[in-house]
Amino acid sequence: MSKKIGSNNIWKHALAITLVLFTAFPIYVVIITSFDPTGGISSNSLLPVRFSLDNYILLFTDPRVPYWAWMKNSLIIATATAATSVAIGAAAAFAFSRLRFKGRKVGLKALLLIQVFPSFLSLTAIYVMMEQVFLITPTFGLGSIWGLYLIYIGGSLGVNVWLLKGFLDSIPLELDESARLDGASVPQVFWLIFLPLAAPVLAVIAVLSFIGTFNEFVLASLFLQDVERRTVAVGLQQFVGGQFTQTWGPFAAGSIIASIPLVAIFLSMQRFIIGGLTAGATKG
Amino acid sequence: MFYKLVGLRGPLALFLKYGFLGSADAALIWLISAAINKSSFIIAGVVTAALIFLNYSFITKGAIPLKFLSVGLIFFSIFVITPTGYTILMSTYNFKTGNEIGKEAALREIINNGIVSDTEGTAYDLFLGKTSNGKYAGILENQVTRELLYADESAVRPAAESEISRDISGYITSANGITTLTDEEFANEDAAITELRFPLGDGSYAAPQGSDVAARLIQSVVYDPVTDQLENTELGITYIDNGNGNFAVKGDPTTRLDPGWRAYSGFDNFKSLFLDERLRDPFIKVFIWTIAFAFLSVGTTFAVGMALALALETPIKFRRFYRGFLILPYAIPSFMSILIWRGLFNKEYGAINTLLGLDIAWFDSPWLARFAVILVNLWLGFPYMYLIGSGALQSIPAELEEAASIDGASEKQVFYTIKLPLLLQILGPLLIASFAFNFNNFNIIYLLTGGGPTNAIDGEVAGATDILISYAYKTAFGSNIQDLGLSSAISMVMFVIVGTMSMYTLKKSKIMETL
Repeated sequence: MSKKIGSNNIWKHALAITLVLFTAFPIYVVIITSFDPTGGISSNSLLPVRFSLDNYILLFTDPRVPYWAWMKNSLIIATATAATSVAIGAAAAFAFSRLRFKGRKVGLKALLLIQVFPSFLSLTAIYVMMEQVFLITPTFGLGSIWGLYLIYIGGSLGVNVWLLKGFLDSIPLELDESARLDGASVPQVFWLIFLPLAAPVLAVIAVLSFIGTFNEFVLASLFLQDVERRTVAVGLQQFVGGQFTQTWGPFAAGSIIASIPLVAIFLSMQRFIIGGLTAGATKG
Repeated sequence: MFYKLVGLRGPLALFLKYGFLGSADAALIWLISAAINKSSFIIAGVVTAALIFLNYSFITKGAIPLKFLSVGLIFFSIFVITPTGYTILMSTYNFKTGNEIGKEAALREIINNGIVSDTEGTAYDLFLGKTSNGKYAGILENQVTRELLYADESAVRPAAESEISRDISGYITSANGITTLTDEEFANEDAAITELRFPLGDGSYAAPQGSDVAARLIQSVVYDPVTDQLENTELGITYIDNGNGNFAVKGDPTTRLDPGWRAYSGFDNFKSLFLDERLRDPFIKVFIWTIAFAFLSVGTTFAVGMALALALETPIKFRRFYRGFLILPYAIPSFMSILIWRGLFNKEYGAINTLLGLDIAWFDSPWLARFAVILVNLWLGFPYMYLIGSGALQSIPAELEEAASIDGASEKQVFYTIKLPLLLQILGPLLIASFAFNFNNFNIIYLLTGGGPTNAIDGEVAGATDILISYAYKTAFGSNIQDLGLSSAISMVMFVIVGTMSMYTLKKSKIMETL
């Protein structure tokens, strides 16, 4: 294949460049806004006219904006959720894909059906529940990131089992069978054969779960009222969510910093993620 | 042989297993005892059930699948199934602002509200204290007639001057059998004292108004538990349970007493959703837009993502850069990008108006707001479609294409007659999943337009860009009248649609066959 821009390739470049501009537009505006000390979102000009680090400094120093606490909360809760939900999901998907037991098909279908229920309405029920838990142990109740963590774990099972199952089904059954003939028990098959094989997919699920948790807004904004305990999503939203008071500068700066770890993880795992997303689909 | 060496029945494995189980047990048992301490018996019961289930599944010899599923199932039951069941239950209840408490609480409130001060304004000087067994009691002196009464919470009797002593200005300073309250007691028991009612024997009460005055109150509303009726003795009106969570005037069910309670209402919420035109018209409007939004979202993102996948299928210059850069919208946290787009569309300072030299209030016009929602969703969604599209392209065997071009098919023909049908077949399940996702895509609507623009003049809740899920959210939590029952009914309708779609996909995609 020639790598020159031939006539055949013009439409390809035209499309790609159009999309690059489209993609770049909000990113560009956010970057210049983050360096603009006046706090507007490019008031008059699209070119950077002022430059200062005020917005970034504000995130570090203003006691009313505990940005690092938010970041810490988000990272802790996203990491914990990703790790736990992958562990639970891997075990459950293994059972659904490799073991034969009564109620397996029904269980799988039920998992999928319940998962598509528009569950945010159960906010009310969850809220009442967590209020009660708070009375017993504030660590896991309303207003704590660990309470939120429990809820995220509960919701993750269905998604992960379905994402993983597609991949697991593509591992030939003969592998398990020959191991069983060699005298391996089911848990041994799980730990010694399945886990090493599934490791890349599990990593993808972990990343997707991490990103999903990091992005979660509705539950977090309802649960984490205390300024110090917010996640970065809820915290940053406060800057621009108001009808009349919108401070875009700190929001832009905060967004950029918060995006860096995610974009880095994503780009470094890009190859695996593409594989994971298409695993279910492309096996035909 | 190998497996014997690593042996999962070895001491280390057993140690890990029982270490895990033991610490989980310890935590759960602690939680149970804490719950019992605070007398939250429901939570204690649920946790106990989880504890038994967990230990059973791990200690029993057989039931291997259960060992892999138990932890997940426990979380799933508590945090997904229970709340979902609650929502389903609520859809059959009249449960909205004014009808959100239980019947007993509502009754108590109505009866409390039915206490009115008597028309003559009778008042008493009060000497308040406690009897030797710690009950409240007091001496009441009618401010007009100077008649003396001894009253406690169960009875009242005339009192004689000899039972009390007064100071020089006539205040009662002590009474037989009553110990006066200290200032501290007054402060601590303020709430209880405010609630205090000394029955005067004729259906009226003396209620303390501060520490040394009491007013005569008349219980005008009386509840009869036998007939389940309320009677207003002052006005002579009878109220009956109207079967829909309120007491209402007999023969005039629309004249109701507040507050009501949440009452079982069968399919009333669904009926009003489909039959009451004040609810049905916005519901249908929102429903149509939801379908259109989901279609347009999938259509635009798929078209753009697929075109990009085709463009980058064979190596061209800058391919690596394009790939890396164009994936960014998928990697950047979406709540941030949506909020950023909201800023870009702002009328006064938004970059889009600046760029185009326009002065448009994007979110004030229904069609422009809808356009904005689709555009932003395209920005967010095309990288995903590109990723799955290029994955699918790779899985189409090259021989197909070669065979077709040998037969003289043009590149266009090859694409439309061979590749596209194959792609759609491969990606079908993912496209339907994406449709279902957008059907419930709460974040983009909530964070970008908030569902607006809304026609605020006629008090309508639904806005032009509201999709069912944001409409249900507003119905439940967002407006002046919060109607959880109706909102749950809307959720049920959504569930039926998306659930049917998912089951259909499942059947189509043959995933179940390979189970």
